[in-house]
Amino acid sequence: MAEQVFYWQALNRALDAEMAVDDSVVVLGEDVGLYGGSYRVTEGLHAKYGEWRLRDMPISEGSFTGLGVGAAMVGLRPVVEIMTINFALLALDAIINMAAKIPFMSGGQFSMPLVVRMPGGVAKQLAAQHSQRLEQTLMNVPGLRIAVPATPQDAYWQLRQAINSDEPIVLLEHELLYFSKGELDESRQAPPMHRAQVCRQGGDLTIVTYSRMCDLALQAATQLAETGIEAEVIDLRSLRPIDWDSCVVSLEKTHRLLIVEEDSGFSGAGAEIAAGLAERCFLIMDAPPRRVAGRELPIAYNAALEAASIPRVTDVVSAAQQLCNP
Amino acid sequence: MREPILMPSLSDTMETGHLIDWLKQPGDAVKKGEAIAEVETDKAVMDVEAFYDGYLAGPLAAADTDIPVGVVIGYIVDSLGAEKATEKQEKQEKQKVDKAPLAKAADVGIKAPPPAVQTSTEAPAQAAKAPASAKPMATDMTSSKHIPASPYARGLARELGIDLARLTAGPDGSIRSVQVVSAALGRVEPNLSDGPDYELHPLTPMQKAIANNMMAAATTPTFRVSARFPLAPLIALAHEEGYSLTLLLARACALTVEAHPRFNAVLTPQGLAQRQQVDVGIAVDVPNGLVTPVLRDVARRPVEELAGNWNTLKERATGKQHSQRLTPQDYRGATFYLSNLGMFSSVVHFDAVVPAGAVAILAVAAIQDGLVEFTLSCDHRVVYGADAARFMETLALLLGDPTGLDAAPTSGAA
Repeated sequence: MAEQVFYWQALNRALDAEMAVDDSVVVLGEDVGLYGGSYRVTEGLHAKYGEWRLRDMPISEGSFTGLGVGAAMVGLRPVVEIMTINFALLALDAIINMAAKIPFMSGGQFSMPLVVRMPGGVAKQLAAQHSQRLEQTLMNVPGLRIAVPATPQDAYWQLRQAINSDEPIVLLEHELLYFSKGELDESRQAPPMHRAQVCRQGGDLTIVTYSRMCDLALQAATQLAETGIEAEVIDLRSLRPIDWDSCVVSLEKTHRLLIVEEDSGFSGAGAEIAAGLAERCFLIMDAPPRRVAGRELPIAYNAALEAASIPRVTDVVSAAQQLCNP
Repeated sequence: MREPILMPSLSDTMETGHLIDWLKQPGDAVKKGEAIAEVETDKAVMDVEAFYDGYLAGPLAAADTDIPVGVVIGYIVDSLGAEKATEKQEKQEKQKVDKAPLAKAADVGIKAPPPAVQTSTEAPAQAAKAPASAKPMATDMTSSKHIPASPYARGLARELGIDLARLTAGPDGSIRSVQVVSAALGRVEPNLSDGPDYELHPLTPMQKAIANNMMAAATTPTFRVSARFPLAPLIALAHEEGYSLTLLLARACALTVEAHPRFNAVLTPQGLAQRQQVDVGIAVDVPNGLVTPVLRDVARRPVEELAGNWNTLKERATGKQHSQRLTPQDYRGATFYLSNLGMFSSVVHFDAVVPAGAVAILAVAAIQDGLVEFTLSCDHRVVYGADAARFMETLALLLGDPTGLDAAPTSGAA
């Protein structure tokens, strides 16, 4: 039955559901135990499953992510929570050198049922070192999977799917999404974890986006409809692999591509999307692909500058208009 | 430097130009702006002007031939020496050029072998001597590589047999699918670059929808039948009963359609779709547009009820508040249309476009000397002239004695 829940609640329920049926699911992270997680994702689980399954970790991302890798190698299904993606920089050795490589380097002798959850994105005045997105850093790592849920329903589905997967998966959440509400129906059949989702149908252009920018793109699409432009909005849901087929089907209809990403554009997710779709759809493109992305700047603390550093609805609207009416 | 001279596009609709004669000979000095050739377009005889200072150089296209817009007809070089050095070679080329434009003009849009191939089979010896110099000319004739166009536009143009060189580029200087599709549909995009400055106002969704609907209706083979009837009896009834004249006209139309059911059918690829009730779409003037709210089952429901519906629809059609606007259910699916301009007293006559999905639309002009002109536009694939005449006869009877209009429908309506 569908109900309205916060994004963090959906993650909480996904963890609860998996921990209830599988003793090998454990959570490692800072303040995930008694405190219930910085964004409440593990709230109530410590009381239910105890300190051996929700382990509070010291402030040392490299070591406890490495612990997660080792635990996954010997048969547990660890879910590592890193407080923000900015701190994951300290854990990149464990994620990139260990988690992504061990299944390959061991010739498949070790599987890697590891989930690393972390929020990224620009929140509210957290300044440059706490406002990074960094998806590009993780995207170019063969062997790693990256899911980017934009709604409570997807957060629920994709966390459960990630825990059940034998491959290392980064679940890239967004700090501003934790307290967004949306529909959750726990009984609904989940689509494949890396399948993109058409959130809005339209025939004039395709907006490909993910995570928090989905909401922005949908708002822009509503405004565009008033000017006679019908945008199709695709939520990728996954950055590695990318569901090219869904995007191609849409471009066969619209012939125009607009990519919206919060991360800086240079060498980012949008660059990969543009290149991948140009390779597949070049002959049916009626205009060059276009990106609306964050500026090439460390994010400022100042609220006005911060807001101007990442895409706004008006940026998406005007880019779409220029794309459709050159 | 050697700059090609292209057959210019001298009007919006020009596809080919007739090169009447050259006014200069190869080797003659020309000044920028000076007339070098005469071209006859579909509208007038005009000069082709030099756009650089220099010397006219061959190969020149043959006089008295039709040449597509954008095709090279000659060259301007900046030094005479270069021109003389290649003169001998150009004489050979000239023979090819004489033929090439003709081949091109005949084969516009058709995947024909490049003219160079045709010519070389006729004159193998010459082609063997100067294959390299013959090639660029042939390429200019058939290729549109230098025209910026989107990959999709190129693909469409290839499939539809449209020559990109004949298209007018969009505002950003490149060709997109819209220009190709317009050309394929025979529409000519207005070329605004030559006229005064302008502002672009994107169409509102309603304006866009109307434009699309009208384009969809444009291919309907239509004929029109006009008749003049006195409207006084109907006006009297409207006053007496307090109904709007438009509503009573819609009722009269619906009863007439019921008597002539072919007017309540629509042609589909599978056959004639005969509708089971008469839903009348009525054109309503709104700011920056036009809507046609639909009254349902106009022949069989009580007029009082229809009057209530009609008032609601009119309010919604002209309503400013979003919540009160017409919904698609309010304006879709009419089986017959009515357009009344009677409130504009100077309108003596007009006819209307039959919207797709219906067979006929009745246009009602203003009263003149006690008579009103009614013009019925009909889809000739479904109904014929005599059908329309009989329709008008029935309508005349109803309008002459409208007392039955607001009565409960007689039996027979099954």
